Amino acid sequence: MADAKKRLRILMAKPGQEGHWTGLVVVSKALRDAGYEIVYGGNMTPQTIAAAAVQEDADAVGLSILSANYLQLIPEVVAELRQAGKADVKVLLGGIILRQDFQKLKDMGVAGIYPSGTPLPEIVQSVRDKVGSPA
Amino acid sequence: MAQPTEQVFSASGIPIKDVYVPADTAGIDYNQDIGLPGKPPFTRGVYPTMYRGQAWTIRRLSGFNTPEESNKLFREELDMGQTGFSVAPDMSSNIGMDYDDPRVVADVGHSGVPLASIEDMRVLFDGLPIEKASTYLAEKHGVLTSMYFAMARERGLDVSKLRGTTANCMLAWTVLNLANQIPPEAYRRYAVDFVEWCADHAPGWYPASFNSYNARDCGLTAWEELGILFSCPIDYIEEERRRRRVPLDRFIRRFAFNMAAHSDLFEEVAKLRAARRMWTRIVRDRYGIKDPRCSEFRVHLQSSGSTHTTQEPLNNLIRIAYQVLAGVLGGGQSIHANGYDEGVCLPTDQSMLLSIRTEQILALETGVTNTIDPLGGSWYVERLTTELEERGWEYLKKIEDMGGLARAIHSGWVHNEYKNASIRRAEEITSGKLPIVGVNKFRLEEEPYEVPVFRPDPKSSQAQIDKLKRLKATRDNARVAQALKKLEEVTRKGENVMPATVEAVAAYATLGEVMKVQLDVYGEWPFPIFG
Repeated sequence: MADAKKRLRILMAKPGQEGHWTGLVVVSKALRDAGYEIVYGGNMTPQTIAAAAVQEDADAVGLSILSANYLQLIPEVVAELRQAGKADVKVLLGGIILRQDFQKLKDMGVAGIYPSGTPLPEIVQSVRDKVGSPA
Repeated sequence: MAQPTEQVFSASGIPIKDVYVPADTAGIDYNQDIGLPGKPPFTRGVYPTMYRGQAWTIRRLSGFNTPEESNKLFREELDMGQTGFSVAPDMSSNIGMDYDDPRVVADVGHSGVPLASIEDMRVLFDGLPIEKASTYLAEKHGVLTSMYFAMARERGLDVSKLRGTTANCMLAWTVLNLANQIPPEAYRRYAVDFVEWCADHAPGWYPASFNSYNARDCGLTAWEELGILFSCPIDYIEEERRRRRVPLDRFIRRFAFNMAAHSDLFEEVAKLRAARRMWTRIVRDRYGIKDPRCSEFRVHLQSSGSTHTTQEPLNNLIRIAYQVLAGVLGGGQSIHANGYDEGVCLPTDQSMLLSIRTEQILALETGVTNTIDPLGGSWYVERLTTELEERGWEYLKKIEDMGGLARAIHSGWVHNEYKNASIRRAEEITSGKLPIVGVNKFRLEEEPYEVPVFRPDPKSSQAQIDKLKRLKATRDNARVAQALKKLEEVTRKGENVMPATVEAVAAYATLGEVMKVQLDVYGEWPFPIFG
């Protein structure tokens, strides 16, 4: 069984305390339907996101932020992931994200950015491209 | 006879006919079901003169960064002709976590104004004529309002003369996934305590504004919005019937409501007309309350944020104007027109001015206020009103059959309704069944323009933390501890918590400290969504 390929696993979380959750649930469902294994974390701190990414052996972390503090929270999540030895995990970000910040976020290590209104099939296709096909 | 065409549905899914004729209103009795404005069942409006007597209140929910900066904003809004202040607390205040809690630092000053103590409340209302204006506090169940009352007392004002509204709605808070939440039954206890206290001490205050706006924005239909909205006051009334502390007519005399103004214009007008009729039937027929003032369904409306798009944000301006029109044709008492840029950021100054102007232009230049309930008597609108009412009763019954709203929330059912509705909406957007211009219809490859954006000041968080530290170091901590101990005692004894709460916040107890008492007594309730 050594080489049995595991299904790709994505941890879905909202860093910080902001309460909008339906976007995260909707995208979680779309990715699960596409064949990914989804670990739904809900609201988490950057530390607990990194710890869960380790524990769940996540291949990607899908984050949702709608409260304009992503430039503060994303570097914290990325740093915690690195510190936890998960620098290779793909960081994906959705929510209310300004286009003028895309490059900054990419430089911070975000692999995929999906501003509110991105069609779900487009998100799923992009995740396939960036994280890999689910199984 | 009109030729049959393809079946169409309202935004909520009600089948709509090609054309409506008198037979469609055959079962509707003018005197019983419609009547004149200002007369039960208030279908046509709660006041006899409606906008001919007084235009609706222009009210925008505001708050950002710090109490200082939000105070400046309130002063500007006053100058622009706004007639009331509406306070949106920030994330830390919504949760009830003090700024220095490491879990919440990144969220301080986001999505609203941070308010942790009476000190912040003083700064927020500094120099503002609260004795003349009315204030709306979009807060949970009375702790921030206690600070507001304590601040007013410091100014020498009589709390019994203050005018304003506290959200105090168990339903509204179900929609957010927030940390440190107490169980819904505990929430209801505090909410009902607050209503009782206001009945005795603040008769000019609306002690609850039952809010289905957010539930609708989670994807519920228009009739589900009606059903879930009324399940909340009914749950409070049933609680008061068990307690028997305040006579019911006084308990509910100043209930207010807060609904969404969504996109389907005629359905929204019909929804508001149905809501007024339903409330009369609940108050008068179900609870036998004779005072017609208790049956008045006074409603604040807000354009639906969930319909606003991040793509081509200026399109939202048009959506908002139509939604506000629906609210006015539906007879709302106060209206918040969103900023067109709210799918992008907190509104900029320019966008806030535009929202106020949207309402003023409608009120003064379009003639829509000339007569009351102008769509009343339309076979279509009357049929739709009745249809929504019937469906609303069914949804309400479903919730009552579960034991009422608090239980329906506790079981996770309400959240699953939101979840399923959100997924359904997303699927309809993907399939194109729900057309959104610029998103799934006529979408452009590249965004054609940029709009100015507002960015919260990342320094506000530290400024608030510093202020809070200073406060905790300089206040009389023994007095605070004693006040909190007293609060815990009355909470455990089941007495009304309001007197002890007002005393605690006047002694500079913080919001986080008061909420901690609640958590100590009731424990934390886990958010019932697990993916």
